[in-house]
This record gives sequence, C-alpha cells and structure tokens, in this order.
Amino acid sequence: MNLYLPIAEMPVNVLIFLGMGGAVGFLSGMFGVGGGFLMTPLLIFSGIPPAVAIGTEAAQIVASSVSGAIAQYQRRNVDIKMGIVLLTGGIIGSILGVQIVKELRQLGQFELFVSLAYVIFLGIIGSLMMIESLNTMRKARSGAVVSARRPGQHSWIHGLPLKMRFHRSKLYISAIPVIVLGAIVGFLGAIMGVGGGFIIVPAMIYLLRVPTNVVVGTSLFQILFVTSATTILHSVQNHTVDIVLAMILMIGGVIGAQFGAVAGEKLKGEQLRFLLAGLVLLVCLRVAWNLVVMPSELYSLSSIVGGH
Amino acid sequence: MPGRDQIRQKFRQRFEDANRSIRKIKPQDLRSAMSGRNAAFALGAAVVVILIWVLNTGGNDPDASARRQMGASSPAAIMEEMSKTAMPAEQADPAAPAKKAEPADAQHSALEASVEKTEQEKAERRRAALADRTVQNPNFDESVEVDISTRSVAITSGFSGQRIVVFGAVHNSLQASPQQGLYDVVVVLEGAKSKLISRRKSNVAGLWINTQSVEFESVPSYYTISSTRPIVEISTPRVFDEYGIGFQHIRIEPRAADAAKLGPAELQSFRESIIRLKAGEGLYQRRPTGVEFIGRSLFRTSIDLPANVPIGTVVARTYLFRDAELIAENTAAVELQRQGLEALMHSFAFDYPLLYGMLAVAIAVGAGLAASAVFSRGAH
Repeated sequence: MNLYLPIAEMPVNVLIFLGMGGAVGFLSGMFGVGGGFLMTPLLIFSGIPPAVAIGTEAAQIVASSVSGAIAQYQRRNVDIKMGIVLLTGGIIGSILGVQIVKELRQLGQFELFVSLAYVIFLGIIGSLMMIESLNTMRKARSGAVVSARRPGQHSWIHGLPLKMRFHRSKLYISAIPVIVLGAIVGFLGAIMGVGGGFIIVPAMIYLLRVPTNVVVGTSLFQILFVTSATTILHSVQNHTVDIVLAMILMIGGVIGAQFGAVAGEKLKGEQLRFLLAGLVLLVCLRVAWNLVVMPSELYSLSSIVGGH
Repeated sequence: MPGRDQIRQKFRQRFEDANRSIRKIKPQDLRSAMSGRNAAFALGAAVVVILIWVLNTGGNDPDASARRQMGASSPAAIMEEMSKTAMPAEQADPAAPAKKAEPADAQHSALEASVEKTEQEKAERRRAALADRTVQNPNFDESVEVDISTRSVAITSGFSGQRIVVFGAVHNSLQASPQQGLYDVVVVLEGAKSKLISRRKSNVAGLWINTQSVEFESVPSYYTISSTRPIVEISTPRVFDEYGIGFQHIRIEPRAADAAKLGPAELQSFRESIIRLKAGEGLYQRRPTGVEFIGRSLFRTSIDLPANVPIGTVVARTYLFRDAELIAENTAAVELQRQGLEALMHSFAFDYPLLYGMLAVAIAVGAGLAASAVFSRGAH
C-alpha cells in the first residue's frame, strides 16, 4: 500500500511506516518518553530526507505528548509558572535551532551536526542512566533503601541571582538555569527532531531538584508547546513538515503508546531505566557507526537552497 | 429449498454472534490483554524490530520500489496505452488543452481548481515554446516526427511511477522493412535542469565528513536514453557531445570557481558521482535496445517514469541517424504535475506556510486527544 508524500516527494509504504510508528510508540509509552530520538533516525535511515524527518517528527511529538500533558494537568502535576519560564527559553532555543538547520543545510554539514548531537547527547544520557539503574538494582538487591531525591543539598545553581518562587515545585531558585535549560532543550528539539524529554527530565530532577511527580507533568507541558512552535517554525522557514507522513506516524504511535504504557506498568522503575538506557546507547552506537566506518559511497548530492 | 434456507439462517446467526462479541470488547479488555506473556511478546517484537534496524548497517534502499517497476514491458500494454491517445498525423496543435489524466473530482474545491488552472496554463506555455522544433539536415530527404502517449502525468497521492510511450515516424523512409536497420533512433528524455552540489566525504580525525564540494550548473533532474542499438555503434562521440546524448556526454558543467580549484581527474570523478548517484536512484536510465521499428517508418519506445521522478516538464528529444550521420531531430514534451490532494497540500505548504504549520499542530493535538479519549474511557 503505497502513498506519495507531498513534501518528502517520494512514495512510501504506509504499512511499514504505521508499523514503525507503532513500534516506537510502544517503546515510548512503556518508558514514558517521546520517542523522537528513535523515530527521527529511523525515518532518516528509511530514506526520508533528514530535514523532512526532523520537521515531521516535531508534529508527531505534539500528538504523543498532548494526552499525557492533559492527564498530568488534571492531576495538578504541572508547575505552570516553571513551565512558562522553560517555554520562554524553549522558544528562543527553537528559533535559533531552526535558523541553524537552515544555515547548516546550505553548508552541507547538517547531517554531520545532527549525527554528532545524537552521539554526544545519547551517549552521555544513556551511560548515566545505565550506571544509575545498575546501582539502584544492586542496592535494591542488597536491601538498602533507595531515594532519588536528596533534599537539602545545594549546588552552585542555587547561588544565581533573579530568584523566583515556584509554588507547585516547592522551590525558590534563580530563573536563569530554568531558561537556559529550556533553551537547550528547544534548540536540540529543533535540530535533532526530538522532544527533549530525555534531557529535561534528568536535568530537572538532578540539577533543579524539582519533585519527581511535578517533573513529568511540567516537562510534558514544555515539550508540547515547544514542539508545537518548532513544527510551525519548520513549516515557515524550511517547508519540511510533511502532514501526510506525520499522520501515518501519529496513528501508529498513539496506538502503540497505549499498549506500551500497560506493558511498562509490569516492570520496576529501575528495570525500565536500564532497558531505556540500553536502547539509547544502541541508537547512539548506530549513529556513531555511520560516522566512523568508511561509507560505501563517498559522494552525496544536494540542491542549492532548501529541500528542493 | 429448505437446505439453503437453513444454511442462510445459520450464517446469519454466526454473523450476529461475531458482531455481538466484537461490540463487547472494551478498551480495558485490550489493556488486560496486554498482561503477562502478551506484554513480554510485544516487548520482544519491538526489541527485534530495533535490533534488525541497528544491525542493518548498509541496507539503505529507498528506491527499491522504483526499481521494481522497471520490469520488462509487455507489447500488449504498450499498444493499449498508445490507443488511449489518438495518434496525431501532424505535430499536435500547441493550443490544444492538455489532456487531464484523471476524471474531475466530485468535490473540486475552488483553490484546487485554481491551482490546476494555473498549472495547466504554465504547461501550455511551455509546450507552445517547445512545439515545432523540427531540425532537418539539408543533405537528406528524411525527417522525423515524434509524440508521447500522454501529454500530462498526474502526480497524485497514489502515484507510483508511470509508463509512457514515445513514438514517431520517419518521413520519406527509404527502409524496405523494419528489420533492415537503415535508420537508428535515439530518444533522450530529460527533466528540468537545476544547480546541484556534489560533496565528497573524507576521513577527518576518524570521522567521515563532507570536505570537498563542486557545484554543477545545469544537471538534468531526470535523464533516460533509449536507442535502437548501443550508442557507440550508432555514431561518434563528437556528435554525442554536441547534442548531450548518452551518460558520458550529458552536458554537466562545473561552476567556473570550482573548476579552477580542482584538477581534471577530480572534476571527472565528481561528474561521474552525479551520474552514478542519479542512476542509483533510478533517475538516470539507459535502454540500449529500447527503440523498436514497427514498420518502414514507425518506431516506438516505452519508458517507465520512476515513482521518484521530479515534477516538471520532461522533454523527449529524438534523433534520427543514418550511416553514423545525424539527419533529423524532433522534440516532444510531457508535463508531470501534481494533481488533486497532492497539488493542494504542496501549494498550501509553500504558499501559506504559517497556516500549514498551524494545521499540522492542530491535527497532532486532535490525534493525541482522540487517542486518549478512546483509550482512557473505562480505564482507571
């Protein structure tokens, strides 16, 4: 069953892409992540032009984060004030990122930049998560009490000026690290085609020390709005959002996510984190492999401006 | 007959039972179905998919489907396609409206209609400019006439490539039979030309990075050559160079600034990279025995436009050779244009990008809400 994509300008097999959306949706539902870091490389490896893959994936992340964000909001797990501060940074980062995508495409270094971003960020996050989950599992086996949050500890972050009170998070910290974090995530979202949950969640927990239940809701809130903005920016700047492809991925993704969420409930937190870390590292290695191993074709073609 | 009634009764009973049991399935049933072994199985399947992808390092083959359609052409299919378009005795009237390949959609929106209208007008202008480009060698009596089985190819959401037939006739043919082989015909199909950059990777500190690049001025987006015999047997490279006939002779010129930087051998390897990569995508094709004489003067060749063929005008340049000498030349064109939903969405994305982006977000929000409404009903 083939369908011709209007923006990617190529025919694709709908069933394959539905299946891809479903498989990634399943994993993202199970681990509670957006799945952009899996979907974007998958799309690129299946022949979708990288810029279109990234623009389209932003739209798909909107779909996969909206229901979660609403559910969290109803459970009063969203710190709106912190979300808005994050969002301010996020939109700045996103505008910057979309602009850089444009520049890099003209220079012919876009794919290299994306690959490096993937290797670096997935490598760091994956390794940290792997170590943390292994430690937790070992401690759990030896019977020690595990606590992720260690309140009362202060770092340099708490010494910065421009302090704000975030009631729901029970925090009184500077707005600067929050804005910077938002900007980094927005920037990466725009260039890597990811929601950035895998960066923002650990950063909020370990750097800002936001309570875990508020972290998930607030990060979803931020991701929802930043990826919406990114989708619109990519449409305007690069014309690289393929609605047809996005819809195929969404259908597969939202259904897969529901089953994934149920499967995830069967596993312990540290087991989930261990599996997720393994997955993240696999993707990281896969992207790194392409950078390091001599390609079978050294030449590549591209048109002068934009995707056409 | 009582037997048949009984069977019918039984079937109806079965159908209603099945229907009732389907209706009984609720979202929480689906959730509970995901317990234990099923969840493990689904997880396993997902991991297998990821593993296959991770291990599949070289198998990046987006145009397999395009190549699959390059199968051998059956004569019956070609004749059928040729009969669809009345064969004109003379070069077709350039003012004639381009034939619509699809019946008009019942729900033809105003925007869609206007898009098609302007597209058709553009196509008409291009066709008019191309029409009647008959070139004749004064030393010979023969001339060549040519047309294409269709004037326009509609790129719709179901587009998966299309076969076109280029056919023509040799005027004042001296050939006694098609087997005599007095004439050679070369048909070159060429898409719109555009600037293209070829980049070469080299190893920098262990990473494969684009380092050198050459910009080429006018690269055909699509190029297919079909001839009665391999072209080396037909004429000399000098003629092929002059007319851009054959992969080695396509006029692809590097930008002067880039040409000055590199040696001729390097430039040649960049030039070859374009042809190799385009051929790999199925966009450059060779059919050394694709043109066939049917009668003393009538010839035809069928060409499969691949699914990834770039949108725009494809020009069919036809050359008639006798004894290695080019004696006549003629040109026909086919317009590839987006139609229906495809045209609507593409022009929407490029003409109203802000609205398009907002629509994409709205669809995404709608899909997310719909999914959570469907799946959360009854659960928790």
